[in-house]
Amino acid sequence: MIKVDNIYKRFGVKTVLNGVSLDVRSGETLVIIGSSGVGKSILLKNIIGLVKPDSGFIEVDGVNITNCSLEELHETRKKIGYVFQESALFDSLNIFENVAFGLKNLTSLSKNEIKQRTKQCLSMVGLENIEHLNPSGLSGGMKKRVGLARAIAYQPEYILYDEPTTGLDPIMSDVINDLIINLKKYLHVTSIVVTHDMNSAYKIADRIMMLYGGNIIFNGTPDEVRSTKNKYVKQFVEGSSQGPIHTDRTFEMERKKI
Amino acid sequence: MKIGVRKILKFERLAEKISYTSFGVVFLSLEGLGKAFEMTKEAIGNIFKGVISAKDTVTQMVEVGWSSLPIILLTSFFMGMVLALQVGSATSNMFNEPVYVGTITGFAMAIELGPVLTAIVVTGRVGSAITAEIGTMKVTEQLDALYTLGTDPVKYLAVPRFLACFFMLPILTIISNIVGIYGGMILSTNTWVLSSNAFWAEALDFMTIRTFLHGFIKSFFFALIIVIVACHKGFNTKGGAEGVGKATTSSVMTSMVFILIADYFLTALLVTLRIK
Repeated sequence: MIKVDNIYKRFGVKTVLNGVSLDVRSGETLVIIGSSGVGKSILLKNIIGLVKPDSGFIEVDGVNITNCSLEELHETRKKIGYVFQESALFDSLNIFENVAFGLKNLTSLSKNEIKQRTKQCLSMVGLENIEHLNPSGLSGGMKKRVGLARAIAYQPEYILYDEPTTGLDPIMSDVINDLIINLKKYLHVTSIVVTHDMNSAYKIADRIMMLYGGNIIFNGTPDEVRSTKNKYVKQFVEGSSQGPIHTDRTFEMERKKI
Repeated sequence: MKIGVRKILKFERLAEKISYTSFGVVFLSLEGLGKAFEMTKEAIGNIFKGVISAKDTVTQMVEVGWSSLPIILLTSFFMGMVLALQVGSATSNMFNEPVYVGTITGFAMAIELGPVLTAIVVTGRVGSAITAEIGTMKVTEQLDALYTLGTDPVKYLAVPRFLACFFMLPILTIISNIVGIYGGMILSTNTWVLSSNAFWAEALDFMTIRTFLHGFIKSFFFALIIVIVACHKGFNTKGGAEGVGKATTSSVMTSMVFILIADYFLTALLVTLRIK
């Protein structure tokens, strides 16, 4: 179980997370939605320990990762897979080495087992016979899928997805959605997914939370999102530029009115 | 509570302003030194614990040593020739014949130009590449990916580069000394009609093993400066492509300045210790 309790994070004068609290139950898929730059990725990075909150704490299976030893943090990270927004594949390694990287460092599998698992994970994301290629030879969508294969390769208990379907065509987005659902169904993986893609959110989520102004302003099931009267959630879900959420565009329009 | 937050914001804005003043620059420099020290401590700690990837270290040694060899051979050879030409020309003006060409070329290459020139060339070729590579990994979240996959970036990236620079730069310096003096000899035999035997006799008569040791010892310190600055700048790169460019330029400039400053203090120390 992941427990985030009252965390604050500021960069200079900008407060990104302003007392965020949430619980993620074992085996559930929690989707976090919100406008760009609202701090969704920072929240994920806090959960895996890449960024330290200014105050508050985060527990993963009872380990307070904001205040634990390096060894404990290392052990906890073994339980968590992370799918990066821009894939973050290692340029100097080929696709096989990228996917096998976690297996070599975090497991005690033999060379043959690593080879088999790597192939299996790549085929799960719809990629075959590309092990010898370098990341620079892949399209954005393929890179994203390799990043996903790398995150699931060592079979972590938790997977954090930072916009897993952004930049993919609708069919491949649905393949990734099915993969997230299957990982939950067959391997009981607990997932936190940050996304703007509402189709994906409705399909995979057990619960949807919305982050706005550094706080969680909504927490409910996909059905509750569909029927909500919360103006912020409604505007975001409908993708409307008119409403309480201020975007750069609305600011610009207001300035022109003046 | 609201007043507290306002006070903090005011303080932060003040701190931001201060950071643009000279005091701020000093503060940021000290902060950078602290981070560089921490990284160096961690890297050296890993080396002494034996946490070393032999494959990565050999790859880096090839990159630092073997790949730098052609440019070191070329620059050292021409540096030796320029020295012999200048010394011969100056002494011809003074004494009507070129004298001490071998001695001065040999001394200058072994104690000063060999180690400094090699360090400067390696800074431009290897230091910049290290910063650009690690910096790009930083801005594309590859360093974060290493953490999530149970790997410490200092152990994975810095340790092999530390070892490669520390062992390859002194070897390149020895090669630079030999090739530089050889270049001086080629010029002397052709331009100043000096026999090669006479040139080597002049060069080696006044030089001892300590003369070569002087430059050799300095090269270890230069190697540390290059790799510490390059890795530190890479790990602390911010921004996108522009940030990588700035970090790389800053890495090369900082290394060169530190090498020249360290050269003075090391020379003073070695002369005091009679290693000259």
